[in-house]
Amino acid sequence: MNKGMIKTLLKKRILILDGATGTELQKRGMPAGVCPERWCTENPEIIQAVQRDYREAGSDMVYTCTFGGNRLKLSEYGIIDVKEINCKLAVLSRQAVGPGVLVAGDIGPTGRFVEPFGDLPFEEAVTVFKEQVAGLVAGGVDLFVIETMMDIQEARAALLAIKETGDYFTIVTMTYEPDGRTLNGTDPVTALITLQSLGADAVGCNCSAGPEAMMEWIRAMKPYATVPLAAKPNAGIPRLVGKTTTFDMDARAFGAFSKPFAAAGVNLLGGCCGTTPDHIGALKRALEATPPTPPRRKSLAAVSSARGHVILDRDKPLFVIGERINPTGKKALQQELREGKTSLVRQMAREQEDQGADLLDVNVGVPGIDEPLAMKSLLSALAGTTGLPLVIDSPKVDTIEAALRLYPGRALLNSISGEREKMDKLLPLAARYGAMFILLPLLDGEIPETAAGRGKVVRDVYRAARRHGFTKEDIIVDGLVMTVAANPDAPGETLKTVSWCSRSFGCRTVLGVSNVSFGMPERKWLNAAFLTMAQASGLTVAIVNPANLELMAMKKAADVFLGKDRGAAIYIESFRDGEKTEKKPAGGAPLTPSEQVHQAILAGNRDDIVALIAGLLKSDAGLSAARIVEEFMIPAILRVGELYEQKTYFLPQLIASAEAMKKGLDHLEPLLRAAKFQGTSKGVILLATVQGDIHDIGKNIVALMLRNYGYDVIDLGKDVATETVIEHMKKCKPDVVGLSALMTTTMIAMKDVMELARREGLKTPFILGGAVVTDAYATSLGAAYARDGVEAVRLVEKLLKIS
Amino acid sequence: MTPLFFESIPVTLPRPAIYRRLGYRKEATRISTGQREEVEGYIADALPLLQLKGSALRLPIELEKPLLISLPGGNTFASRKLARFLKDAREIVLMGATAGTAIMEAIQADIGGRNVTRGVVLDATASEVVDAGLDWIMGYFRQSLRREGKTLLNSRFSAGYGDFALENQQLMHRLLQMDRLNVTITESCLLVPEKSVTAVTGIV
Repeated sequence: MNKGMIKTLLKKRILILDGATGTELQKRGMPAGVCPERWCTENPEIIQAVQRDYREAGSDMVYTCTFGGNRLKLSEYGIIDVKEINCKLAVLSRQAVGPGVLVAGDIGPTGRFVEPFGDLPFEEAVTVFKEQVAGLVAGGVDLFVIETMMDIQEARAALLAIKETGDYFTIVTMTYEPDGRTLNGTDPVTALITLQSLGADAVGCNCSAGPEAMMEWIRAMKPYATVPLAAKPNAGIPRLVGKTTTFDMDARAFGAFSKPFAAAGVNLLGGCCGTTPDHIGALKRALEATPPTPPRRKSLAAVSSARGHVILDRDKPLFVIGERINPTGKKALQQELREGKTSLVRQMAREQEDQGADLLDVNVGVPGIDEPLAMKSLLSALAGTTGLPLVIDSPKVDTIEAALRLYPGRALLNSISGEREKMDKLLPLAARYGAMFILLPLLDGEIPETAAGRGKVVRDVYRAARRHGFTKEDIIVDGLVMTVAANPDAPGETLKTVSWCSRSFGCRTVLGVSNVSFGMPERKWLNAAFLTMAQASGLTVAIVNPANLELMAMKKAADVFLGKDRGAAIYIESFRDGEKTEKKPAGGAPLTPSEQVHQAILAGNRDDIVALIAGLLKSDAGLSAARIVEEFMIPAILRVGELYEQKTYFLPQLIASAEAMKKGLDHLEPLLRAAKFQGTSKGVILLATVQGDIHDIGKNIVALMLRNYGYDVIDLGKDVATETVIEHMKKCKPDVVGLSALMTTTMIAMKDVMELARREGLKTPFILGGAVVTDAYATSLGAAYARDGVEAVRLVEKLLKIS
Repeated sequence: MTPLFFESIPVTLPRPAIYRRLGYRKEATRISTGQREEVEGYIADALPLLQLKGSALRLPIELEKPLLISLPGGNTFASRKLARFLKDAREIVLMGATAGTAIMEAIQADIGGRNVTRGVVLDATASEVVDAGLDWIMGYFRQSLRREGKTLLNSRFSAGYGDFALENQQLMHRLLQMDRLNVTITESCLLVPEKSVTAVTGIV
């Protein structure tokens, strides 16, 4: 049966898929640990009996027993001929069910994660799947099903392998965790957007969950589906009984979910782990007279990443494309791209996401670099950094092709213009990978001056795009912003273009807003005013720097007035914090300057401590630096220690206070020195993280705390040789030595230091600390043990009999 | 014996665990809104610095009581506690994860005096995220094993716990090919960058 016939069938009824194969084979004698594919070729009567039972129960379609039929899985069992075994198993299925039932070539995961989420190169994954597809085609399958995918990129690779082999109806089902995401973080709607745009003929979910949870995922996908939806739930939630995974839902209970599934919009329904022919029979009986709900839309304006999506609904607030990942005029970014680094890009992505971007523009245009390689590197880095969909921004066809092939979502391509050569190359590319694109109404490098001229180019490009299957939902027209400084009429023509696209032609629009103010002073006001005018003209998307607060604020305000921010919910949420900061402090007497210093240390206020101390010094109280330290700062830091020990404070509060104290002391140090303040040094402490150990965060905290309490700290750092510690003990004559170690393999070096010190006649007391060090261990060596920085201070005071 | 490599494990912030690691106790600790925002800001700062990667290897084992766990290729672990932990397993999963170098560079610069408060928050965040990376790897295996009617033990065991000596980390590092994740190991068996971990669990 060909693709068209299957599509026709799906318009008539909900198709019943088969149930579990693996658990049925196990019940019928397949031993654990064998290769199911090989076992089925050796025991053909058993797999055929299972498939016949599903046919008798009412399955319209059975899956070939080739879930693990790819080279990477089969090689684990020493099977080399991928094509042969897949072909054999497809033939067995056809023989079993005859011509009246569809045979779907089953493709499961390779067991390896695909680039950019794993080490399996994307092209190798495509090749691996193509080998399997070739065998299944040779065996005469009617269609394909890619199932139980937890990595959207692997699903894409398998789908491309099928599409690049022939025109076969293909179902893709992902497997979701109870939180409604794949293990790799993809949610059902995101997967739907990615896969249907890439050419899947049906999309859905299987395994991992029972019918109840899966129905919700089908319900979530239905409004956005342009293709039929498939579900193959398990027979309930898997449960471990002893050493066996069991499924508790019987056929009757399973069948009871049929009608709710149909109401949720499922078009293909079957069962996964734990289901049997009885379960499938129950589905069939329940759905006999139930008509299918076809997909509600023919196309969808939406883009996706591996872990998120944006539906470009024109009734929603203006969408923002963050423009910062573009090396033009950014030396640091240019340098990073040349060096193949990505940390700045990842930082920019995160920042723009936090600042309210909905999509991120990615441009790697640096002279002299391998652009396709740089683009792939950035896409890989961003796949693990942000859930925002990306806009592939390049004038180069090879860069665009590399990006669209690897990008694990549905991208927005920036851009395709009316130039014939570009159109001929880029339209088929965008169509092959299902990308949306920005339509640039340019012709032969010329920008039509008037909105009417731009409209003509838009119509011409769209006409060409339709031949590749694009609809108006798939394009966003760039209204082309020109600077007002060069032509006062230019912004008006841009706004007319936006208005025409939005109200007459019926498509979405985008503007690179900041161009309008080029060459003008105080550009932010022009940009903000122009943006709101464009919003009023129907603008859908703006390319801006989301760090521009004025622009983002004006956008949000305009969204309210245009009725796109219902109840001004987003606006209120955005500026609630602002209101808070405007609020006056609660009543009560104002703090005196000395109390403010005390309070600043208690609250860990590093920003204001210096100014507060300076104010106190200048105040009428006539306080000396020494009195400020003794009467206000030390009591505050002691109180912090108490609060930490009571667990009223946790570590960041303790450290923030310690840092505030340190800043204050640093500020007062010249005055204290000039006054020969005797209270500033209570003793000398030598600290070291022992030889072999590189973990010294705890030791650094101890150093900070001790300094704040008035000790001179000599910090030797980490991985310090035993002899070096001894040498410094002799030279500096510390009052106490503190040693730290994190691991069992390195704590033994503490003993070496102490033994050598004793042999050298050094009697200085030791304090030990670190994750694996215990009181007992310290005591056994004749040292004291400190659990944390606060305790270390207490111990030092005790050892030196200060408190 | 080629491990699986996970080049980009999704980072889901285990907030409660991060706060617990920092000493937060729900019933006792009191934080002002400003302090919470500061901590949350630092946790957010950690995100672009974290490059969570991992590798894992499924291996058959033979248990030789009371403490020997034999792996293919003549490799062994010797630990009574680990042997007891794996008593029902005939296969194990070795796993390793790393948060990468960028986060450690930031932690070291912060703790060195740039912003110690931020440093301790980044440190706790990285520690918990890398641990969550192992949770993720275990989730992957649980899902993959479901079709075989198998699952993983509920917990995992790391070198340095009980009598499972830290020296075993050398073998784990080698088998997991963690050098491909840019993780090295020192003579004293510490993984570098610091926010890297290994563990073993059983398949039952």
